[in-house]
Order: sequence, then structure tokens, then C-alpha cells
Amino acid sequence: MIQPILYFLILIVVSALSGILGALVGLGGGTFLVPIYTLYLRIPIAYATGASLISTIATSSGAGSAYIKDKITNVKLGMGLEIATTGGSIVGALTVAFMYSHHLEYIIYIVFGLVLLSQVYIQLTRSKYELPKEMKPDWSTKLFKLYGSYYDVVLGKEVNYYGVRWWLGEIIMFFAGFISGLLGIGSGALKVLGMDWAMNLPMKVSTTTSNFMIGVTAATGSSIYWIYGYIQPFIAAGTAIGVLLGAYIGTKILVRITNRSIRYIFSVILVILGVQMVMRGLGYGF
Amino acid sequence: MDFNDVIAYTLRAGVLISAALLILGFVMLTFKGKAGYYSINEIASTASMVNSSYFNANTIITGMMTLNPVAIIFLGLVILIATPVLRVALGLAQFIKEKDYIYSIITAIVLFNLIFAIFILPSLIHT
Repeated sequence: MIQPILYFLILIVVSALSGILGALVGLGGGTFLVPIYTLYLRIPIAYATGASLISTIATSSGAGSAYIKDKITNVKLGMGLEIATTGGSIVGALTVAFMYSHHLEYIIYIVFGLVLLSQVYIQLTRSKYELPKEMKPDWSTKLFKLYGSYYDVVLGKEVNYYGVRWWLGEIIMFFAGFISGLLGIGSGALKVLGMDWAMNLPMKVSTTTSNFMIGVTAATGSSIYWIYGYIQPFIAAGTAIGVLLGAYIGTKILVRITNRSIRYIFSVILVILGVQMVMRGLGYGF
Repeated sequence: MDFNDVIAYTLRAGVLISAALLILGFVMLTFKGKAGYYSINEIASTASMVNSSYFNANTIITGMMTLNPVAIIFLGLVILIATPVLRVALGLAQFIKEKDYIYSIITAIVLFNLIFAIFILPSLIHT
């Protein structure tokens, strides 16, 4: 039995570190948080994912209030795609509730592990280009007004852009919402993929808009987690405070570290945690 | 003050109030050493029985009356969840004001999904 105060401090430190790691690579804290909580702190996976999901709202709202000023976030784009993420999140959260009530936790461990391992691939192959290749506007570009512009500090100019294939974006977003509700993570990487790859949008627009969407998606899933009792007050409170602290520190040091070194360190951690989660799911220790 | 300012302040206020309540709840819990019938050790264990399924709007309000630390933490978490909902509602007001019909409809659907998950699903699950 750990002392309550010490336990609370451990929760804050672990989730702050996860928040920093997440901010460094443009993901929420949940990707690291849930494996560390379940594998090393022995927290039941339902409580771990509950705390993780609810605290991604804190990161999203916290960063959102800063982003809204710089006008990079495309609110219309985000709102349109949230139809799919919130829908997916409801289905995902109800699915995981079914699994927990039938003692199928091991499936969640395996799926979580596989999602971590697939992130490695995404991290290492992520495009080096800020701006996408030219594509012809389609019917959805006009109907859903997928135009926008922002001032790019790195390129030193105003960038005009437009999105295509809204329907493909919606399909990927439903899946992103499903994963978010299922695993209690923001699934920001999938959301970025939906905008960056499917809708051909610039990286900066995808990442900031994804952050905006994560809060709304997580609020949907969290309320279902709430009913089923996956939100444990002590763990959730420590986690939310820690993740907020971590995200704040993370954005401060972000400028000082080169991108490449982060990706390699990050990938190694992902492989270790991913393999351990799969092993746990298959019943091998950890 | 335009809509974007209101939205930015709403998000910031939501996070700050929530974080303040979470910290306050924890501090009160350590001082009191218990919350309602539960001791701090029962609340702070990894596999604790105390969780959100026993807390709804009514129990949180009555808990606030007696300054129950866990009710204060849950209020902080409710505010955390409510912030994005409020943000979507403000977005809807903004699109209606701008007479942007397609996005008014889209935002109304998103708001419906949120309200469905928060208010309608619980009653469906419990019956």
C-alpha cells in the first residue's frame, strides 16, 4: 500500500512525463500513459484509460485557447469531421464497455500494443514536407467550403490551401473516434492522417485542427466511460493535473530539440511499450 | 470582444477552474483523511471501488453541500467534460450569426452527438 500523497505525486510525475513526450512528437499523453499505468503501476486498464481519456480534454482545451489566436486551426474543417469522430467515439466506448463486462480485457491490451507498434511506422515515414502536393479541388471542396489560409512562420509567407475528399476524411475520422473511445487516447495521429493524407491539407493545419477535435471526441467518450464507472477520481485528478503540466513544459522545450533525435527515441519507447502490451494481452507476465 | 475571444476565454477558464477544483479536492482529501463513507486509503488505491458510476449530478450537488472532497474532484472533471461541449455550442451560435447554414447544421449534429452521449445514453443504459 503506497501512501496516498506519494501515490498522487507519482501519478502527476508519470503523466507529466507522458504529456511532455506527447507534446514533443505531436501526440496526446495517452499513448504513453496507459501502458505505463497498466504495466508498471498495476492500475486496472479501465481506470487507466478513463484517466487518460478525460485528461486529453485538458490538453486539447489548454492548447486550443492558445491556438485560436493564430488562426491556423480550421474550425469548419474540424467541426465537419467531428460528426464522424464523435459518432466513432460513442461506438468505441460502448464496444469497450461490452468487452470489460465480458472479461475480454486481454483484447484491449493486444489492440493497444498493435496501435503503439503501428505508430512507429507512422513516425518514421511521416512526410518531411510542410505543404502537400497540388490536387484538383473536388465537389466536397466547394460544398463544405474547405478553403483556408494561414501565415507560415517557417516559410515566411501566407499559405493558401484547400482540402479534398471530405468523405474519405470522414471515414478515417470515424475510425479515429472509434480508437479514441476504445483505448482512451486522443488518437491524434490518426486524425492527422485523415487530414494530411486523405484530405491533402498542410501539416500545420492538420495538427492544430486535430488538437481542436480531440477535446470534443474525448468529451463524448468520457461521458460514456463515466456511466460505466471507468473514471476513478484520485487517478483521474492526478493524471489531468500531470498531463496539463507536462503539455505546458513540452511546448516550451519543443523548440530546442531537433526533430530527428526525438523521433528515434520516441520510436524505441513505442516498440518497448507496444511489445509489452501485446505480451500482457497474451498472458505473459509484465 | 468577438466570438473567437469568447471561445478562447471559455477554454482557458474551463481548464483553470477544473484544475483548481481537482487540486482543492485532493488537498481537502488529505486533510480530512476521508470522503463520505470512504477513507483516503480506499479512495487512493489502484483498484479502488470508488468510481464515477456512483456519482451523478445529484450526488455531486449533495456532496458539495457537505464539502465532500471526492464530489469536488468530480465537479472538476464535469467542468473538464463540459468545456468542449460549451465550445461546440458557441461555434453553433457563431455559424448561425454568420448565416452559414451548412455549418450550422453540421455543428448541430455534433452537438446532438455530444448530448446523446451525455444525457440520452445514460438513461438507455440504466433501464
